[in-house]
Formats: sequence, structure tokens, C-alpha cells
Amino acid sequence: MNDERFERLLRGFELPEPDPRLDARVIAGAEEWLVRARTRGTVAGVARAVGEAFGFGYVNFLIDFVTETDAEYDVELA
Amino acid sequence: MARDEVTEFDELYRTYRTRLHQYALSLTREREAAEDAVHDAFLGWVRQVASGRAPSQPAPYLYASVRNRCLDRLRRRPEVALEESHVELLAAPAGDEERIALQRSLNRLLLALPGEQREVVVLRTWHDMGFAAIAALQDIPVNTAIARYHYGLAKLRKELDKNE
Repeated sequence: MNDERFERLLRGFELPEPDPRLDARVIAGAEEWLVRARTRGTVAGVARAVGEAFGFGYVNFLIDFVTETDAEYDVELA
Repeated sequence: MARDEVTEFDELYRTYRTRLHQYALSLTREREAAEDAVHDAFLGWVRQVASGRAPSQPAPYLYASVRNRCLDRLRRRPEVALEESHVELLAAPAGDEERIALQRSLNRLLLALPGEQREVVVLRTWHDMGFAAIAALQDIPVNTAIARYHYGLAKLRKELDKNE
């Protein structure tokens, strides 16, 4: 049997199915993380709105300025 | 929770679950370790997405993540001996006795290959991965990946001929 035929023979086999318990574990874990991330996002949004309402908008502005401004790296070679 | 986030993840999981599971099995030769690696890799992906740092391409991330987790596991605990390994890297249709016998032989021979050759044969044959991508994953030159594949394939063929 040449290489090509042997490769075809190997490719003719399917891959085994993972245990359904693994599927359940991964999906449940992922959903939990996504819920947590969404809750964090909502809480941050509410905090921003409250901050704006009470006249602390400049705090949001400073946080955005620090977190969203790209750092610049300037390396000078001697 | 937004429905689309869950659906997106579900699609990603359905796309890669079988392949990553087989890949992890081929690296560890152990079911539990392989399942843990796949689970952790997917949850790692979710964490990246949740923190807004999702890699642009899921496949390279997931493969590298599964590989790192499996290698990390092997560093902590040596590879399961061939005689003690009962994992199946291939599946044959039920009822086809001839095919099932061949699948069993190939499975044992694959598991007996040296780890780095087994990995290349698995990725190239069942994951349609090019040699450049395999080389990048294993952090080796492309020619080394090609050589590992051909050595592995030759060994499999020779042993299968011997068994028949």
C-alpha cells in the first residue's frame, strides 16, 4: 500500500464522540462566565450613570482617559 | 445573558469539540486528562471573550491552549503507559467487524507512536492542518514537522503490515 492509499485509509475513520458529560460541563461553565461578565458590565454601567447624575462625570472621563489611551513606548538606542 | 453570546459559544464548541477532544486524547493517552484540557481551553476562551480580549482566530488559540494544558499535565504526571491506556483515537461504524478490527489495530499503533510523531500524524490526517500550522504549534521548523509525519506514517504502515 502506498502513502496516498494509506492516508486515505486513515482518513476513512471517524473521530470518537466526546462524553456528553463533558459537553454539559463546558456549556454550564461557559454560561456561568458569560452571566458573570454581563452582570459586571451592567454594574459598571449603573455606576457610570450614577456618577454622571451626581456630577462626578470627570471621574469617568479620567478612568476612560487612563484605560483607553494607548501607551507610547519610545526606546532610544545609544 | 444575551442569547447571541451563548449561541455563538455553542457554535464554536460544536465546531471544535470532537477534534480538540481527539487531539487531547492523542497527547495524554488518558480520557480524564484530555477532558479537563478541553474543558479548560474552552473556558479560557470564554474568559478572553468576557474580558474583551478575544483572539481574532479561535482555532489557533484553542489548539495551543489544549496543547499547553496537556503538556503541563504531562510535566506533572508522566504519560500513561501504553498497556494502561484505553482511549480510542478513532471510531468505526458499529456492526462492521472487519473495520472495527482494523480500527483497534490502528488505534494501538497510533498510541504506540512517539508523542511528537503521533501529534503530527493526528493533526495532519484528521484535522486537515497544514505543515506550517503544525510547525507553528509545536514550535519547530516546517521540515521537522514533515519528517515527523513521514516517519510516523511509515512506522504505522510497517507495523500494520506486520500485524496482518
